[in-house]
Amino acid sequence: MSRISDAISELHKLDMEAGKRGWLQGIHPLPKLLVTLFFLVLVVSYGKYDLSGLLVLGIYLIITFVLGDISVKLLLKRMRIVLGLVCLMGIANPFFDREAVLILGGFAVTGGMVSAATLAVKGVFAVSASYLLIVTTSVEDICYALRALHVPKIFVTVLLLVYRYIIVFLKEVERMTDAYALRAPGQKGLNQKVWGTFAGQLLLRSMDRAQTVYDSMMMRGYNGEFYLRCKRSAERGDYLYAAGWSTALLLIRIIHF
Amino acid sequence: MVMNILEIENLSFSYGNPRDMYKKNVLDDINIRISGSESVGLIGENGAGKSTFLKLLTGLLELKDGEIRVAGLGLKKENLKDIRAEIGYVFQDSDSQLFMSTVYDDVAFAPRNYGKSEEEVRAAALLALKKVHMEDKKDRQIYRLSGGEKKLAAIATVLAVGAKLMLLDEPSVALDPKNRRNLIRILNELPGAKLIASHDLDFVYDTCERVILLSGGRIAADGGTKEILTDRELLEKHGLELPLSFSRGCPC
Repeated sequence: MSRISDAISELHKLDMEAGKRGWLQGIHPLPKLLVTLFFLVLVVSYGKYDLSGLLVLGIYLIITFVLGDISVKLLLKRMRIVLGLVCLMGIANPFFDREAVLILGGFAVTGGMVSAATLAVKGVFAVSASYLLIVTTSVEDICYALRALHVPKIFVTVLLLVYRYIIVFLKEVERMTDAYALRAPGQKGLNQKVWGTFAGQLLLRSMDRAQTVYDSMMMRGYNGEFYLRCKRSAERGDYLYAAGWSTALLLIRIIHF
Repeated sequence: MVMNILEIENLSFSYGNPRDMYKKNVLDDINIRISGSESVGLIGENGAGKSTFLKLLTGLLELKDGEIRVAGLGLKKENLKDIRAEIGYVFQDSDSQLFMSTVYDDVAFAPRNYGKSEEEVRAAALLALKKVHMEDKKDRQIYRLSGGEKKLAAIATVLAVGAKLMLLDEPSVALDPKNRRNLIRILNELPGAKLIASHDLDFVYDTCERVILLSGGRIAADGGTKEILTDRELLEKHGLELPLSFSRGCPC
């Protein structure tokens, strides 16, 4: 299978996982989104040397991964590039901040090392929490929750359409690269000479398909807003989920470990 | 008096600048009336203007010359929303027509846009899915449907608004014989007017009682299905051939 097919298949799998019947999937999207946003705010709020305090916040991720039966292996596989990048964010810190803040077995741990590690952990936590939300909530439900929080409709519509069109775009790329590969045996990738025409054709074809999708939406009364509905309204259990996690996370933040 | 769902008078259309003196009309002086329960086949060779015609009826292309009335409403910008509630357009490519993640969400898309309550939306979506025998697949992810199921889901999306006139662009394309037969059966079960643009003359024969033959942007023939589809001379004159079942000598 080509890398493009893999990418399309991964997107479909994410959709499927979000639609599964599970404990975490069953929670109303609004409390899930609120807890995720609150978690992200708390992650950002930690100081650059407060690594020990920040690590305790990881309890949320561990518990949610276990209760939701979410595979950490899959997270690492799917987010490897993003995780790799966030881990490298603070790579220069040890060179600028060389003041020793801790001696561990005769080895001086500098402020730069701690801040680099803190930055990496913050990044990993943020990506993991976002992944947890995506893998347990369909994009329509996330958009519904965003609209419930009065996020402007233009932003929500763009988010939803980008997610839908990305598959249309990838399918066009796949069709074109397959057609190319079949007529260029033994070649690895696309020859530099065809990059220009390939990009141009891709743009035209994608626009054409996007126009059909848009026409289809217009034919069905689309007027600039997706009227998203959740399968059910929020119940007491959903509010308890939000309240429980918010309290627990706040306590972890206030009580300094 | 028979109520016409579609009335077209002196319709002409060309792409590009209307002042261009060298432009050629894609459609030229079309006059058609379709009653509320008719099933009409629109046939013609490639480039005859079938898809342009369908897009004009739905307002996806701007009407420049002539008059179109759908359920008594003149095709004008201010009437588009009401007209589109009366017309259901099933695109040739179901993949592009279906853009939500599940069958139910896609079928519910139009009723929601027309401001129905969630109970009404649910009732309309389930009824539409029932009409195409897809009620057990409502929670399926779109990409997991077969080609035939996608076509039926696309039909359900337009049925959910209660469209009185259904336009179908090459509905039998890429369907295997079983799905094709199933689609014919379902289309014949559906009430309301249908305008089916297709190259598949056997399909047209099985689903339509009237046929309009477009050629060079003009109506070359308009009449009973059997009368037109068995006229070898007429069909060949306009770049078509007898339906396969007739050319094999099937009495049908």
